[in-house]
Amino acid sequence: MNDSISAPARSTLSLHKLGVFCGLAAAVWLGSAEAPTKLVNVCFSPFIISMGMVMGAFVARWTVPTLLKGTGFLFDDLRKKPHLIVWALLAGMLWAVANTLTIFAVRNVGLAIAFPLWNTNSLVGLFWGWLLFKELRGSGVKGWAKVLGGAFAIVGGAGVLALATAQQSSNTPGRAAIGIMAALGAGVLLGTMYIPYRKAYISGMNPLSFVTIFTFGELGTVFLLTAINLGGVGQVVAELHRARPMLFWPFLGGFCWVIGDLFQNFAAKYIGIGRGIPLSNTNQLWGLAWGALVFAELSGLSPTGKLLVITGSTVMILGAIAISMAAPKDSELANWKFAMDRECDRYGLNKQHVAAVVAGDDPLSGQARGTRWWEVLIMCCAVGVFVWLAIGTRAQQINVNMPWLIALSLATIVPLGVCGTLLYRRTRFS
Amino acid sequence: MKPSTLKAILTDVHLWVPVAVLALGTALLMTLR
Repeated sequence: MNDSISAPARSTLSLHKLGVFCGLAAAVWLGSAEAPTKLVNVCFSPFIISMGMVMGAFVARWTVPTLLKGTGFLFDDLRKKPHLIVWALLAGMLWAVANTLTIFAVRNVGLAIAFPLWNTNSLVGLFWGWLLFKELRGSGVKGWAKVLGGAFAIVGGAGVLALATAQQSSNTPGRAAIGIMAALGAGVLLGTMYIPYRKAYISGMNPLSFVTIFTFGELGTVFLLTAINLGGVGQVVAELHRARPMLFWPFLGGFCWVIGDLFQNFAAKYIGIGRGIPLSNTNQLWGLAWGALVFAELSGLSPTGKLLVITGSTVMILGAIAISMAAPKDSELANWKFAMDRECDRYGLNKQHVAAVVAGDDPLSGQARGTRWWEVLIMCCAVGVFVWLAIGTRAQQINVNMPWLIALSLATIVPLGVCGTLLYRRTRFS
Repeated sequence: MKPSTLKAILTDVHLWVPVAVLALGTALLMTLR
């Protein structure tokens, strides 16, 4: 049966609203991705926990796009824009180096200082969006004030929250400079990672195709860096084997991370990196909610600390509201089109087709597709990996508040359903 | 990949900005170790 006939009519939701919903849903899932890793015993190297998350993300980054669009669509998309494979791999490599730097940052200066420093990635992304992709140009003073003010508020709120909640601090002052450099470096790398994101989406690439390639750059580089840091490939394999009973949790975190990452990519596509990335960077609020409500991590917090948490959260929410209300004007959209035309001219892309995809109306998205045997195999392998890891898994003994666990799990699943439905109805995941 | 596409990639500032940042980030990481 033809999918375009049987599927419900397209929604008329504005792309700005859709992008804002995607950015906020990304924050929920990126924040929730931290929760499973709390169940990992602390005796494991952070490199191995990070490696486990990336391996889980690798599995999910193949299966979710296959499930939603099918391998035929993904390969067709990549075949039409083969040059973007370079940028997708590059983005994965940038993420991997940045993530390793964050580990060094937390070790040397603690989370309180490190987190706000690398959270400046949204400001770096905003700068590249303005410089290279003409974002915010023609948006007027009001538009600038909302987006820039909102982005600074989110970074500032993140700083206040990190100060209030950090349990760690550096007890080796001589290494502070190293930690600060590592955190700032991570911020620049993560902010620069959004250049490939935006380039891919104004060229008409589907976010699902992009992440499928991204994951190779990410896994390959993380594996290499972990091997260097742990002293060889054999050491990595031995550590992974030792961590086997706990590996399910970072894998699950990686899976949640991919859901958030996909929403972040759709936000970058529909509202740009200047608006989409600060919104998804409110994930710290959700990480805080899981830590405070489910794992009671803030039970001993002083009244000043509680005040800081409320202040930081409020500032962050106000920043997100400001950005949500900053819909691009026609004059800014004309600049977005200029950036899109540059890609089309440079790489010989069909302008009409790209414009349709950028507007969420991919002409190929309504085509019927059958399920191929290897797609079923990919699904079975992915489910098999998770089931295999789940069997005999152990969790760190940790008190969990069950009512809050259920409430936050629901609060995580609801945006997935709502935003997934909105994306399907408006764009068919294009 | 066509030679013209390859040339377009290699002369694209969108490539060299992330490549330069990646190189600097990797160098920083190696220094910090």
